[in-house]
Amino acid sequence: MAPPRRTKSSGPPPPANTLVLDNGAYSIKAGIVTPDVETPAPEIIPNCIARDRDKKTYIGSQLSSCKDFSEIAFRRPVEKGYLVNWEAEKEIWEHEFFDSKVKRHCDPPETGLVLTEAPNALPALQTNCDQVVFEEFGFARYLRIAAPTLNAYTDIQSIFKAPARDTASIATLPAEIFMLIDSGYSHTTITPLLLGRPIQSAIRRLDVGGKLLTNYLTRLLSLRQYDMRNDTYLVNEIKEATCYVSKDFKADLERTWKGPKGDRRAVFETADGIAKDYVLPDYHGRTKGYMRDHDPNAATKLKEMVKGKALGASEDVLTLRNERFTVPELLFNPTDIGLRQSGIAQQVMDSLSSLPMGLWPGFLANIVVVGGNSNIEGFVFRLQMEIRSLAPAECIVRVARPADPIVSTWQGGANLVKDEEAFSKLSVTKQEYEEHGAAWVARRFGGR
Amino acid sequence: MANFEGVDVPTVARWQSYDCKYGNSMMINFGVREVANSRATAAPGWAYVPDTGANASVTALQPSSRTRVRNQPTASLHETTAKQEAKILRELAALDRENHRDVSIPVPIRHKDSAGRVSHGKSTPAVRKILQSQKTFANHLSDFEALSTLPATSQPVVSTPATPAVRASPNTVVPATAAAPNVTSKGTRSHRKKDQGAVSTPTPLRKVSTASQSSTPLPIKSEPGQDIPMPDAPLLSQGNSTIPAPHPGDKDPLLVSRIPVMPSQEEIEKLMAAPPMTYNEARGPWVYEDRMKPIRQFCEVCGYWGRVKCKGCGGRVCALECLQVHQEECFTRYGA
Repeated sequence: MAPPRRTKSSGPPPPANTLVLDNGAYSIKAGIVTPDVETPAPEIIPNCIARDRDKKTYIGSQLSSCKDFSEIAFRRPVEKGYLVNWEAEKEIWEHEFFDSKVKRHCDPPETGLVLTEAPNALPALQTNCDQVVFEEFGFARYLRIAAPTLNAYTDIQSIFKAPARDTASIATLPAEIFMLIDSGYSHTTITPLLLGRPIQSAIRRLDVGGKLLTNYLTRLLSLRQYDMRNDTYLVNEIKEATCYVSKDFKADLERTWKGPKGDRRAVFETADGIAKDYVLPDYHGRTKGYMRDHDPNAATKLKEMVKGKALGASEDVLTLRNERFTVPELLFNPTDIGLRQSGIAQQVMDSLSSLPMGLWPGFLANIVVVGGNSNIEGFVFRLQMEIRSLAPAECIVRVARPADPIVSTWQGGANLVKDEEAFSKLSVTKQEYEEHGAAWVARRFGGR
Repeated sequence: MANFEGVDVPTVARWQSYDCKYGNSMMINFGVREVANSRATAAPGWAYVPDTGANASVTALQPSSRTRVRNQPTASLHETTAKQEAKILRELAALDRENHRDVSIPVPIRHKDSAGRVSHGKSTPAVRKILQSQKTFANHLSDFEALSTLPATSQPVVSTPATPAVRASPNTVVPATAAAPNVTSKGTRSHRKKDQGAVSTPTPLRKVSTASQSSTPLPIKSEPGQDIPMPDAPLLSQGNSTIPAPHPGDKDPLLVSRIPVMPSQEEIEKLMAAPPMTYNEARGPWVYEDRMKPIRQFCEVCGYWGRVKCKGCGGRVCALECLQVHQEECFTRYGA
């Protein structure tokens, strides 16, 4: 059994495997894609190094083995959507992909890499990225691409329900014209894409993302109920479980008001179903909290503490009322916390205003939302409603969300890799990097 | 002068605007371009940069209307006092944090078992520097801003001659005349013409350059169509839906529908060739319509509408009950 030998020809054949990395600030979506082989679903790996209160350190996917998330602290290599700290990122990547023991092991010199970045990155960070990829890891082939662009390689028309299409049009990738809203951990970006390429002058960024929402909820809970400031992980879970985007903000706020002192509102206690209890985990018997309808009569620890009784109740419960919808509301009204920006819908219109009027109908009828925040209940409905009221009346407005908005970008990357012709046009081989240098690579990825 | 023929034309045109001292040095040095100016000394790792006053990392988080050219100053609807401003800034900075406390989590030291670890060979000094760098994003951003406020002469990379400068940079030191007119004052609806933007050609801030690109001293010629060619027929398809059956009322002037004309092939190509905006330029604006609306105020205690103002600190509460709760803290906090 002789080991397979690598032939040394003038131009090495493209690597068979390509690692597609959607390197988000909160999680890495990763998977190895091989043409002609069916692609498995990507792994979602926390992009962080975490330390719990016993000073134990967790890297990336090790976090799932953590039993006690109280007072856990995070270090994230991706800041504001951009890969900043390579020391930590290298550690995570090596732990997840390059260690020989790991199950999704790959060997960079025999693998290609598709790496996403947020749009409008700083050139210095991009140069760092290219250098590390080629000089430290030595990937055989590399594509650094703005994350929104990859969504053009998913079948976006299938996300929209009507009207029915004829089958001939399905296979044409990249998508012709659509507007992508990516609402992630660090920020929300709005990118109009034409023929698979972003229109750079119309990209807008709203500095509201999942992190800000979680921190805002933390502040509200800490002011009103328990001090949760050191339990961001838990607050994030509460946010994901309970928050929703209100269809009628004023009415919902009215329903959740207790009323003035002498005139308590009867509706306040359950608030027409808005009031929910979140049962907190104690990390002994219960490692995960859950949401249930608010029960005014249930005995909870907080109540007994307030009344000065001995602690007899077994459950620690947070009751959420207007916190449930005032938090995601920041995506639509950032001025509520004093942030001087317009909400998503106005940003979409501002982006359109820098484009020729003839393209407006195409973009408005094909708005796709991806990213973790689009999973918030009612998000798509509200967004469509707000854009509808701002857009010209003649235009059709359609807003849709893919089945799994978190891995949609990754899926697009996988589709792109399978199309060898398109992929090789965009990507850069190690040989080319060594021949032409870093600046050439930067220019090529910049489309300049 | 024959030596100049190798130099590309826009560069020469730029140099003409400087005094003859530079012109002379060009002649002596032939093709070598002298880029250092008299004020700044370039040294590896650091540089003197002009201090423009405002702290860039803070203003990036919350640019006020004065620093941002595109946002015209409006009526004093949202005028805030310096105290309120500071409070908002402080709260936004707190909301931007990763952890509540300052923690530093070191990368765990691994045991160098030869079996378990893939070696990538020796890292080059440049890569080692990147890996050891503990710069944050704010550091990188202020570096970038400092670089772009440097006078144009100290930058080796020449920007594209026909760059459509669609938006103005927030930290522009250049007079705003180049960028301001093509910004619609009404914000959203009005259609901004591309051609207008293309007039303001050589804005020095448009260039996207870094010090680390110094490996290529040659000016980068921008030929957008070269690296990634456009598809041959990129005009958008006209859809595949069936055309509805003709109706006698189609010609009725009241019912006729107007469709905006599709932009021409050229227009689309120009649109696609625009270079990426910088981080600060891409920040979404606070549009005019939204500025005209009053800012919603909420009760600091319970989250309902903030209808009552605390006399001590100006904070908002909903009613007397919440005001009492608020004042318990308010007095201790401000020592009033």
